[in-house]
Amino acid sequence: MIVLGANDIAAETQTVYSGDMLVQEMLTGTVQILEGEFRNMGYGLGQLQSTVLYADSGRISFLSDLGRDGGVIDTITYSVGDTTELHDTQNEMDRYLFRRINNEPVLRVGVVTVFRLTYYTQPGELLTTPIPADRRSEIYSVEVTIEVQNPYAPYRRAEMVQTGERTALYSSSLWQQTRLASQNLRR
Amino acid sequence: MVGRASLIMVMGFGIILGYIAWNLNDYATRAVGNMSTYHYSTQSHNLAVAGANVGLAKFYQDTSWLGSFTQTLSGNQGTGSFTVSRTNLSGDHALLRSVSSYNTWGSGVLHDTVDVIFDKTRQQSFSMFAWMTNFEGNVFWITADTVWGRVHSNGALHVNGRPVFMEKATTSKSFDPKVGTGTNKAIFKQGYETGVAEIQFPNDISELMNASTSGGRKYTSEIWVTLSPGTSADGDGKAYIRTAVAGPIVDSISLGDVSFNGALVSTLRVHVKGTVDGRLTIGSQNNVVIEDDIVYEQNPSAGSSNDLLGLVSNQNVIVANNTANNSNCTIQACIFARSGSFTAENYNTRPVSGELRLLGSIVQDERGAVGQFSGSTITSGFSKRYRYDTRLNDPSFRPPFYPGYYVKTFAITNWWESYRVAFTR
Repeated sequence: MIVLGANDIAAETQTVYSGDMLVQEMLTGTVQILEGEFRNMGYGLGQLQSTVLYADSGRISFLSDLGRDGGVIDTITYSVGDTTELHDTQNEMDRYLFRRINNEPVLRVGVVTVFRLTYYTQPGELLTTPIPADRRSEIYSVEVTIEVQNPYAPYRRAEMVQTGERTALYSSSLWQQTRLASQNLRR
Repeated sequence: MVGRASLIMVMGFGIILGYIAWNLNDYATRAVGNMSTYHYSTQSHNLAVAGANVGLAKFYQDTSWLGSFTQTLSGNQGTGSFTVSRTNLSGDHALLRSVSSYNTWGSGVLHDTVDVIFDKTRQQSFSMFAWMTNFEGNVFWITADTVWGRVHSNGALHVNGRPVFMEKATTSKSFDPKVGTGTNKAIFKQGYETGVAEIQFPNDISELMNASTSGGRKYTSEIWVTLSPGTSADGDGKAYIRTAVAGPIVDSISLGDVSFNGALVSTLRVHVKGTVDGRLTIGSQNNVVIEDDIVYEQNPSAGSSNDLLGLVSNQNVIVANNTANNSNCTIQACIFARSGSFTAENYNTRPVSGELRLLGSIVQDERGAVGQFSGSTITSGFSKRYRYDTRLNDPSFRPPFYPGYYVKTFAITNWWESYRVAFTR
């Protein structure tokens, strides 16, 4: 019995560790490209051109010369999908993070449980989303919050689940980049 | 028999648990690896950004510097270096590049790059500013003030309330009080910058004066200029010159005449009113006095227009205190008061004069007053309604021989930072 118990615990531990690992890799993979593109927001634009085309808490569109070819300015859009778009996983909170360049097909660049964008002016005023067109030029920095949870997790025994708690042990990892600012927005 | 079975079972569990332990160890190693790699990437990136900032400091001390240097940093966070180089690009551009080299534990050396691109464009027009002063005096930007176009002062900008700056606002000194503190609740639609290099005013208006004697018109008496739109055709406006307010016309200039270069000046006071059809700069070694509305034949805020007027004074540009100007005054022009102000005559004793509707730009040595208020109630002079003429954003679009200045520092036009795409295994 002792050996069986140990085996059970070991198997659960392995599942949890595996989930942690998966969550961490999903997060770092998503974050690096997002961080890089946000830092180069507005690259290649003239001084009087607007950089941010749309800004909401879950969606942003901005301009940048991704190819650095000195002429073609790209429109990059990041948006978060709905939880109903991801039925395949056990986790009921996860959703796709989408990235789109110009009119190319929409790409799924990650699976997240939270993707939240908040915008600040240069003096530090928090802008209310969605930001109307006449205030988008005031965006000076963007705070990005991403949480990733394990798509699958061991279920908890019914007697362990309290009211309001979830039925499985989802690993989660939170990444927040405060005041992510592109130097091109500061010209 | 039982003993053998037990032995096999124990060995079996041992193998299973051993496999699980190996997996757990692998997960732990990979987790640490992920964390380390992200940390190393961030460090390498930060090193490149630090290099760019060090390079910028060196470059702005000596903008003629070309070449490269390497600096090594060491400390608790690891050892690394950056190499900064400055090269010229084609056209009027320059490049400052910072490349980091960060030594990692077991992952070799990481490199990141930051490119800073400068515009070396030398001459700019003062008309690019919606508002510029050498000295703001003790006048405050207040709630309900809205400025379309760039704002700059070589002095401090005083704010009391919530004025709105639609384009970038810069000052060679600072905001008083600091932005976001005390009474300064200003809204900056395109940001602000303090401590920027001073933009020096010219010592005279000689460029315009010289032009007036080689293809323009120069008078040595006080003159009254009435601008006429001519026919409905484009660019056939006229300027009629008098030497007394109600005197006879002593000269007539066709703005469309190819032999006229657009410079019209006097060494004494110049009075102006009328409708502009063409491009012209009216200058005075003394003051320029606006006697009545000055408008473009084609209003640029209502459609396309190529009409353009500069009012350049070596001293002040003054809105006269007269009947015509005491029930609103419209001015469509670029105003430059080299050593004085743009102001309203008797601004604190004249009657309440309605709105001063300006479309263009205002550049003056010291901020002048056009009205007086008690609280938010006007007691004399004008309420300001200033709009920037967005055609002036292009420095090549400016009135003939309008003053320009040389940029002391190279302007950063673009900033690029390298980044990595997912490294997960």
